[in-house]
Amino acid sequence: MNFAGFLLTQCLNALSQASILFFIASGLTLIFGIMRIVNFAHGALFMLGAYAGYTAVTVTGSFTLALVFAPLVTGLVGMAFERAFLSRLYVRGDGGAYLMVTFGLAVIMGEAIRLIWGPQPQGVPTPDMLRGVVFLLNQPFPYYRFFLIAIGAAAAIGLWQFLERTRAGLLIRAVSQNAEMVHALGTNVEYVRTGVFGLGCAMAAIGGVLAAPLVTAYLGMGSNVIIDAFVIVIIGGMGSFLGSIIGSLLVAFVQVFGAYYFPNLALAIMYLLMLLILVVRPGGLLGKEE
Amino acid sequence: MRFAYGLAIAVVGACLVPLVSPNYMLTIIIEALIWGIFAMSLDLLVGYTRLYSFGHVAAYGLGAYSSALLLLHFHMPLPFAIILAVVISSLIATPIAWVCTRTHGVSFAMLTLAFAQLGYAMLYRFKEFTGGSNGLAGIPRPAGPFGIELFQHKVGYFYLVVFCLFGSYLLCRSLVNSPFGSVLAGIRENEAKTRALGYNTRAYKRAIVIASYGFGSLAGALYAPFAGFASPELFFWLISGKVLIMVIVGGAGTLIGPIIGGIFFIFLENQLAEITDLWPLIFGSVFIAFVMLAPQGIWGLVTSTLNRRRAPAGAGPDPEDVSGASA
Repeated sequence: MNFAGFLLTQCLNALSQASILFFIASGLTLIFGIMRIVNFAHGALFMLGAYAGYTAVTVTGSFTLALVFAPLVTGLVGMAFERAFLSRLYVRGDGGAYLMVTFGLAVIMGEAIRLIWGPQPQGVPTPDMLRGVVFLLNQPFPYYRFFLIAIGAAAAIGLWQFLERTRAGLLIRAVSQNAEMVHALGTNVEYVRTGVFGLGCAMAAIGGVLAAPLVTAYLGMGSNVIIDAFVIVIIGGMGSFLGSIIGSLLVAFVQVFGAYYFPNLALAIMYLLMLLILVVRPGGLLGKEE
Repeated sequence: MRFAYGLAIAVVGACLVPLVSPNYMLTIIIEALIWGIFAMSLDLLVGYTRLYSFGHVAAYGLGAYSSALLLLHFHMPLPFAIILAVVISSLIATPIAWVCTRTHGVSFAMLTLAFAQLGYAMLYRFKEFTGGSNGLAGIPRPAGPFGIELFQHKVGYFYLVVFCLFGSYLLCRSLVNSPFGSVLAGIRENEAKTRALGYNTRAYKRAIVIASYGFGSLAGALYAPFAGFASPELFFWLISGKVLIMVIVGGAGTLIGPIIGGIFFIFLENQLAEITDLWPLIFGSVFIAFVMLAPQGIWGLVTSTLNRRRAPAGAGPDPEDVSGASA
């Protein structure tokens, strides 16, 4: 067997996996960093993104339009939810209440999606341009996964630059450090929160659209992915953007190589890694201990 | 005195249930009571210490698999197997509690979730032992001790579950009303202050996590022999969310509330699932409504209404109204 080729394709596989995970985890960590909300519904929003993407592809036939339409819809759903429910809980200052309300939303959305799109999985075809495979050291590797790596890297850099360089990014970072002070300086913190929640949900939806050609849009994809996303965010440190990138990479590599070398232990390794990190650093790799 | 009357009425009422209930209903009733125990065990953490566990299914699964394995391999009398399963589960919970209580708040929730998922993964790792995705089937309910055959019948099993429910309720009640319980309340209200008063809060949290897992595993240990099988479903993380919903809707911090919540939800689920498939939609909406509008839950609403009526007119404002919130 061609070991170098195998290693290369597996690494690329892991990178493309990390890219999808990053779209979910970065939204989750952004929302937590600004609002101290652990969004349990993030997996369900990822699933909504995949289904909305499916509809967009079947109606318009364009994958690019799906990548615009799905995050738009999901972001609006997220913002509406934040305005209607979460914003009323800020005064209570009880982290548990957020967890429970978003859990309720996850249950409702899972059911609503089943009612709208039906129980059977909906396949999304790989866009024509990205079909086919390329041979790397005699190992086949799909173009689509290259596309995933590229778009993941682009999003990571773009989001980072957005947070670091723009005025909106500055506001977001300021709110995450001291919301009261930002409020006192005359900025409407409520808008920032709603915007960030919508942005996080839209990111998850992009992840859903990107994952759909690989795994189809199916019920339960949300609950599978939310656990991975939690693990990533905890490993990286809750609220840390860079941490979510590192966490996505770590988890993706552990998943891909674990599934190959220790098929029996693949699930357990991820949790053991997380427990180990938490015992050494209770706040995660780049997080602050609360 | 009021408490003694209430308890006596509840016990007598529960004992009369098998006489009036049709046989098929008894299955649902037993399951509902088991869930009542499970929800109550989580209330020790959520309601009394404000530690939100999102992995309480681990307690249930541990209890279920321990009792299943004990009964399958050692064929011991049922009550012994259940007691031993609780002991084993509590021992396994000890290191879990040690790690989890290093954190609090959201991290605590996520850590408990991680442990539950680790347990779920382990079921597949040790297939030859746990049966993997097939689970363990054909769990016997051996007779004894002393040749008692009562628990082999459904009615007898019902009485066993009722006994466990009331027994663990009384134990939990005396626990939260003891000085130990007062320290827990201190941790719930302000952990830093409690630590400053000289209490080793981590040790208290460890103890209550182990106790909560112990009572939770009792529910699991009762369920597996009753159903006759144990499958990875009993370790699935959505159960943790479901039981948390029962605690909140029933009324966190009241013990009775979560028991009622658990029983209520299992009944509703069984009744509604037959007539409508919108069940999860209703379930989720009711849950959000309670968290938003009535965080004190069903039992909290009931007791506050009763207390208000009991208080004589003109005896000064209700202690709960001091904030002026409910004018």
